[in-house]
Amino acid sequence: MSVLPYAVAAWLFGIGLYGIATSRNFIHLVGCLGVCQSATYVLLLGLGYRWGSIAPIFYDHPPGTPAVDPVMQALVLTDIVVGATLTALLLVLTIQAYKRGGSLDPEKLRPMRAVGQSGRDRGSNRVGDGERKAS
Amino acid sequence: MTAFPAALLPLPVAIPLVICAAMLATAHFLPGRLPDILATLAALSVAVLCGAIAVHAADGPLVYWFGGWEPRDGVHLGIGFSVDEASGWVAAFIGLLYALTFVFAWGFFDRTHGHFHILMLLFLAAMVGFCFTRDMFNLFVWFEVMSVAAFALTAYHLAESSLAGAINFTVVNSLAGFLMLGGIGLIYAQTGTLDFEGIAAAVAQGGRDPVVAGAFCLVASALMIKGAIVPFQFWLADAHAVAPSPVSVIFSGAMVSLGLFGLAKVSAVVFGGSDQVRHALPALLIGLGSFTALLGGWMALLQRHLKRMLAFSTISHAGIMLTGLGALSVNGTGGMLVYVVGHGLVKGALFMIAGILLATQASIDEIALRGLGRGIWPAGIAMGLAGLLLCGLPLGVLDQGTRLVQGALAQQGHGIALAAGAIGAALTGAAVLRAAGRIFLGLGPDPGDEAGAPSEDEREKANRPLWLMLAPCCVLLALDVGVPAGLIEHALPRAASAFLHRPAVETLAEGPGWLPWISVVAALAGAGYGLFRRRLPALVVRPVSATQSAPTRALEVLHSGLIGDYVAWLGVGVAVVAGVLALA
Repeated sequence: MSVLPYAVAAWLFGIGLYGIATSRNFIHLVGCLGVCQSATYVLLLGLGYRWGSIAPIFYDHPPGTPAVDPVMQALVLTDIVVGATLTALLLVLTIQAYKRGGSLDPEKLRPMRAVGQSGRDRGSNRVGDGERKAS
Repeated sequence: MTAFPAALLPLPVAIPLVICAAMLATAHFLPGRLPDILATLAALSVAVLCGAIAVHAADGPLVYWFGGWEPRDGVHLGIGFSVDEASGWVAAFIGLLYALTFVFAWGFFDRTHGHFHILMLLFLAAMVGFCFTRDMFNLFVWFEVMSVAAFALTAYHLAESSLAGAINFTVVNSLAGFLMLGGIGLIYAQTGTLDFEGIAAAVAQGGRDPVVAGAFCLVASALMIKGAIVPFQFWLADAHAVAPSPVSVIFSGAMVSLGLFGLAKVSAVVFGGSDQVRHALPALLIGLGSFTALLGGWMALLQRHLKRMLAFSTISHAGIMLTGLGALSVNGTGGMLVYVVGHGLVKGALFMIAGILLATQASIDEIALRGLGRGIWPAGIAMGLAGLLLCGLPLGVLDQGTRLVQGALAQQGHGIALAAGAIGAALTGAAVLRAAGRIFLGLGPDPGDEAGAPSEDEREKANRPLWLMLAPCCVLLALDVGVPAGLIEHALPRAASAFLHRPAVETLAEGPGWLPWISVVAALAGAGYGLFRRRLPALVVRPVSATQSAPTRALEVLHSGLIGDYVAWLGVGVAVVAGVLALA
């Protein structure tokens, strides 16, 4: 089995982490998270792949024909669903954060401000009941 | 004893899921309080069912295979639930915590069409599934469902700080999910199965194997991220501080410790056969755990935002749980399981008190609240008691867990971990007692102009009577104090051995009886120092404050709230886990 898929997976995960660590824009950051997740796709598909075998659909092949591992493909499918959920949720959060904070920069949008600088002069505390909604 | 129908095992997961789906479908028609009632009843029924399952699992684990896909000839194709006594009781505790939280949150969220309850029930189902499953991939699915529900609940208020906290939480925990999935892929590739027992058998047969170690490294890192172990702990303080207080109760009381519960299960049951993992674990877990206990306690002492203080105290106690796990004995793991329940009860009560303060006094800042709690003194008594229990007052479930963990550590001569646990507990207790003294007794110096809080103003609805909010909090504390010690002492050796798949032991050792008292005294001294610093002679204060300032500033800078920093530390943490495993 080739080393290439593992190397690609490790590289993708590393470069995604680097992107998140240095990101100054939340939308860019969500993209980087997607890159990290692609590492898991590559890893799982690489692990399940067998050279010279068919897709695990036996409609027009006799049972027993060598096929790639269907379990891994099921895992990847679930992973894609998880990824879609996370991306959607993160983008919603980002939009809401932009509406309230007026910025997409993680540096300007922190959950707790450093001790000493009073946060009362910054931004209004709009918890608009009309706009409040779950997830 | 009649045979318990194993077909009932999926019910504690199915009930909350069905009710939450029904509530989502009819959200716009449900009259006012019906979601509250339905959710509370669902959580209670989960608690009762899990309790019944736990009682029947005393003789041996109950197993249920979905769709009847039982393993044949050693090949595990199906997905199963397997519940031992300890998992059952932990799930029952979680159900109860949810029921009390729903009572606490009665009418908390108006005009939301029950979305809060829907998310919470989804969260509950995921937690119970996480406790019951015996399949690696199923474990991952529950892990993710738990995460997604938690992300949405954190951002529930859609205020600026809660959104930022939720984004940090989401990114870090999504990375945890990816790591876990990678680890599961590796272990499946090596062993050809996803079933716990199947993997365990294959791992025990194979010798030293870098793929197994790598898989364990990824899965363990993911669970430690959930369990908020240093250096993965950063997300927790942000998320817990900004989440609505009923949600924080669940986060601290159940979610964080469930990460460590998962780690206990995975390291003992699934990877227990690997010598490499077994050799690496004590150093790794006890080292990280001790460090976490100290750092969390120290940071808790520095906070004035009450929920953030409690969040750091949760980090500290997660560290103590991890040291118990690191003893790799029935004694240590049993102690940790008791600790999970005891800590959940006490910390849940404390977050409820923070919620009460937020609702009735419209502030969460310790300094700004000085003396304002006098009107609601019953909450003050509860907070004082919870603070004392937190630092180790020899009473109740939490103390029993502490003594068992300490007994396991003392048996193996881990003096440093023992000291770190006692100091960490004392520091968190000191922080809570100091806050209780300042808020409810008006002790400490008058703040004057420096009363501005470091976070934005928070408010929670003040439309609930005090007794309704205080009652669940008191029930939690009463449970912690009131559960007879003999009952746990009797059941635990058997339950913990079954949890670890080890031969049963007769009795469990307890730590030295004086150690909790030292923690209590140290906590009282720390709280007193925090409150009366200005009245103490300068000779005492100067050296203490000098040693306090530099590391304090460094720690505050580290907890920057920047997602980039957190992710960098996550990389460091994974490298540390991998390094220790490689050296073992």
